[in-house]
Amino acid sequence: MRATGVGASIQRGGGYGRVTGQQQYVADIRLQDALQVKLVTLDCARARIIAIDTDAARQVPGVRLVVSAADLPQPVARFGPQFEDRPILAVGETKYHGEPVAAVAAETKDAAEEAARLVRIEYEELPAVFSLEAALDPAAPLVQDPALRPGDPLAGTNVLREHRVGWEEIEAARADLVVEHTYEFPMVTHFAIEPHAFMAAPDGDGIAVWSSIQHPNWLQKVLAKILGLPLSKIRVHAPDPGGGFGGKQHAKLEPLVALMALRAGQPVRLVLTLEETFQAVRRTAARVRVRTGFHRDGTFAFQDVAADYLLGAYADIADRVVSKGSYPACGPYRVPAARILARSVLSHTTPSTAFRGFGNPQVNWAVESNIDEGARALGIDPLELRLQNLARRGEAFIPFDTPADGQWEQTARRAARLIGWGTPLPPGRGRGIALGIKSGPTTGLSYSTVRLLADGSVIVYAGTSDMGQGARTIFAQIAAEELGAPLDWITVVMGDTAVVPYDQQTSASRSTVLMGNAVLRACREIQSQLRAMAARLHGMDASLIAVDRGVVRLPDRELSTLDVLKPGLGRLGGELIGNGEMRKDEEPGHPLGGSAAFFEFNCTAVEVEVDEGTGDVLLVRHVTVSDVGKAINPLQVRAQDEGAAIQGLGHTLMEHYIFDEAGRIRNLGAIDYRIPTSMDLPLELVSDAVENADGPGPYGAKGMSEGALLCVAPAVAAAVRDATGLVIRDLPLSPERVWRALRERDAAAAAVTGAVQPASVPVAAATGGAPSGR
Amino acid sequence: MHTFAYERPATLPEVVALLGRHGTDARLLAGGTDLIIRLRDGTLHPGVVIDLKRVAELCPAIREEDGRLAIGATTVMTDIAADPRVRRDFMALAEAAAVVGSVQIRNRATLGGNICNASPAADTAPPLLVYGAEVVAAGPGGSRRIPIADFFVRSGQTTLEPGELVTAIELPLPRRRMGAVHVRRSRRRGHDLASVTLCCGVDEAGWTRLAYGSVGPRPVLAVDESGMLADPDAPEAARAEILERLFTDASPSPRSMRASPAYRLAMLRTLGARALRTAIQRLAEE
Repeated sequence: MRATGVGASIQRGGGYGRVTGQQQYVADIRLQDALQVKLVTLDCARARIIAIDTDAARQVPGVRLVVSAADLPQPVARFGPQFEDRPILAVGETKYHGEPVAAVAAETKDAAEEAARLVRIEYEELPAVFSLEAALDPAAPLVQDPALRPGDPLAGTNVLREHRVGWEEIEAARADLVVEHTYEFPMVTHFAIEPHAFMAAPDGDGIAVWSSIQHPNWLQKVLAKILGLPLSKIRVHAPDPGGGFGGKQHAKLEPLVALMALRAGQPVRLVLTLEETFQAVRRTAARVRVRTGFHRDGTFAFQDVAADYLLGAYADIADRVVSKGSYPACGPYRVPAARILARSVLSHTTPSTAFRGFGNPQVNWAVESNIDEGARALGIDPLELRLQNLARRGEAFIPFDTPADGQWEQTARRAARLIGWGTPLPPGRGRGIALGIKSGPTTGLSYSTVRLLADGSVIVYAGTSDMGQGARTIFAQIAAEELGAPLDWITVVMGDTAVVPYDQQTSASRSTVLMGNAVLRACREIQSQLRAMAARLHGMDASLIAVDRGVVRLPDRELSTLDVLKPGLGRLGGELIGNGEMRKDEEPGHPLGGSAAFFEFNCTAVEVEVDEGTGDVLLVRHVTVSDVGKAINPLQVRAQDEGAAIQGLGHTLMEHYIFDEAGRIRNLGAIDYRIPTSMDLPLELVSDAVENADGPGPYGAKGMSEGALLCVAPAVAAAVRDATGLVIRDLPLSPERVWRALRERDAAAAAVTGAVQPASVPVAAATGGAPSGR
Repeated sequence: MHTFAYERPATLPEVVALLGRHGTDARLLAGGTDLIIRLRDGTLHPGVVIDLKRVAELCPAIREEDGRLAIGATTVMTDIAADPRVRRDFMALAEAAAVVGSVQIRNRATLGGNICNASPAADTAPPLLVYGAEVVAAGPGGSRRIPIADFFVRSGQTTLEPGELVTAIELPLPRRRMGAVHVRRSRRRGHDLASVTLCCGVDEAGWTRLAYGSVGPRPVLAVDESGMLADPDAPEAARAEILERLFTDASPSPRSMRASPAYRLAMLRTLGARALRTAIQRLAEE
């Protein structure tokens, strides 16, 4: 393979700029005369706003604008990717701690902050719900105004939607063993290193907006609707984000800054603090009850999953997180009968949104842990039990969806080999293994334009956001491969809706497959132009000429792209322009609106050491293997999975929001919300990939980089159990939680008059009752 | 950030005069790793910030004099952790200095700041207690020495008089051989605030000095002079009883979200027992 093309581990384009501070993030861009914006919030979650007095704030020198809902166009616009429920500023009532009630724009940040403190808000704190129990209480205050949900039978509850998927009758399924337990997944936040940042400026008869957004084209649509402007008058600049992880997918404060810029008649700028970011985005928490029916030989009889996801005060994209995340809850297995019920439950907390894994890690944690409990109860090796039930390539493991699209057993066996599965361990150590699956994009639309310039250099236009995942490098590698240009002669232009063609979104690990195919098709269109050009130059029929990966093949010789391009373009020069489109249409009637473009499949296997004195869980070795189809850039593939694995260790070992009685996040900010540092990495981290070129993307690639996060928690918990006998069904596995479980284990053992009691798995009879009414 | 006046005095008398003039409205700036955070989050809004970095008498230094190792108040953690004299005679202090904050923080954070902030979780406090340090304070009445055991009151509160500031921390050079170690508990291995910070020293006369923080309003020193604790051959039950007695002053706050009182108290015992073993071993290796 050539050193720069497909399959080469070249360093990420722009990587140097990222780590040396040269890259311009939104907060680095200076617009002349930009006003600084500060948000005004209340010190509680839910409150009725009685009066807002902005007089004192307006008196602060340098203050130019103070707005509350009353100052916005009426009725105050609401927006959201699924439900238009989020107002630009709180109207009459705040629904979560940190919801903006007013905003100040001033000449300096200090003046804006000073004025924000002086906005006097008279309010009455109202009863609120911050947990599943409280939100589901029949007497609970409603988070969403029922008037926003006309005709919805659930409008009188905090359940936003119920999602049901299943096949065959679980009641009819006979099982020798039924294992039923409930698992909890905490609220965690994305913690992107780049703060969320927004700017807007009047731009002729339209507006220009700068945002750290992942979906610039979607934002353009939202702003066009709110401002009543045609799409062509909304220019979204979306510089490469510094980490997004889903938290930057959808519009948040852009409508507010856009309206403020138009009102002020000059640019405005808002950069959130880390604390404000915690209040803006988080992952959906969940409680998942799993009932797995097993036959004595370890094969599955049925799966029954009931997942309650705790959303925030506005839906954002979180109800889709619930439906799509719970959909493959039964895992990559042959399950004869299945019933999945997932509910989106609103609460007076930070709105939850997309986050790497998109609702799957929550159910994966529960179901994989449950399977592990079943394997141990049956006395079957947890790896063997999984392999025994694992869908083989081509099997329709979800009956109405894309069949298994990989030789997944290779991935599982590779991970098992790399962790040394089955080899002896020293005392205090344990191993765990788990499988993860996630449905890829169900719909998609990406356009790309590629220009082959007169000197053979190339410009690729792609509306993907490169937030660190390396999409720029992948597209450049594809163009280099197809057009025969050196990699450093390729420029990839992204993040400007006035220049770059439409892309639906950067999410669901789609860009290599969907935008990658669009880039490939644009390059192929240029190849056919080259073919016609060569035919003209050499006076032969185009059917005799082939263009392949930068080489023009005539019947008697091979020419380079440039050999054809230079004489072909002639003295006036010019360029060749190719356009590519990749579309995955909706499928009416499909539970998710479309089948999976591909599946992300991962196997994670870990070895841990548990300190029984402190409860510390030390990752001695962490192996993550993903089925990626084809690694266009193996270095990036490995590194993406390393990042996902470490991010997964965050919610597995240490991350979670802590609330007080008023619904305020107590551990707001970096001091008391801990994410893994370089000191917290596994002593050894092995990231590997299986490549069978069996994906729908260019050269057989599949999407990847979420897979390695999916099943970190169940693998680690299984290893902790292997080391200690403890079964822990709550995350994170913090030292204190593990220590408490150890103490309970020892107390129980002491109670049995000195006999060491094995950690027992409560086993219920196979009754196949109705799902619990939670 | 609230606005404040900024003073950058050149001499110690000028600092004392400024403190006299502004009283509690003034805050001292050395490394700034505690102060700047609290200025930014608005929990402190002083009228004047007095920058100590240009004060001639306060230049960072570690000096050996009159049987003592004197560490200037503005000496940063990185330098303390790396200093060969500290590492030779006061290893547990070097260990504690090496786990305060992150690399960047340790390059700024000063020993004087760490003790004057008087956080119960200050990592340098337990070793200073074990080594019997003295705090040198300057004020309107001149200079005085305060035993470190009499210095801490509660979080943010010391026994410094109004108008006083710390100029140095002095450690008496050991007359008896001692093995000592600093250990701590935090929520992750990467930089974090301690939920228990502890130092144990065992000397050749058989005394055990145990100091711990983050389990009450101020760091605590407890001493066993019986020689039993330091003697691995003494009856296990008797040793356990003595060790337990050393922990009686621990009273962790139930309000903290970093660790529950039950966990802190249990970890105090786990860490105490482990540190005692290490200290005995280090003494034997001396």
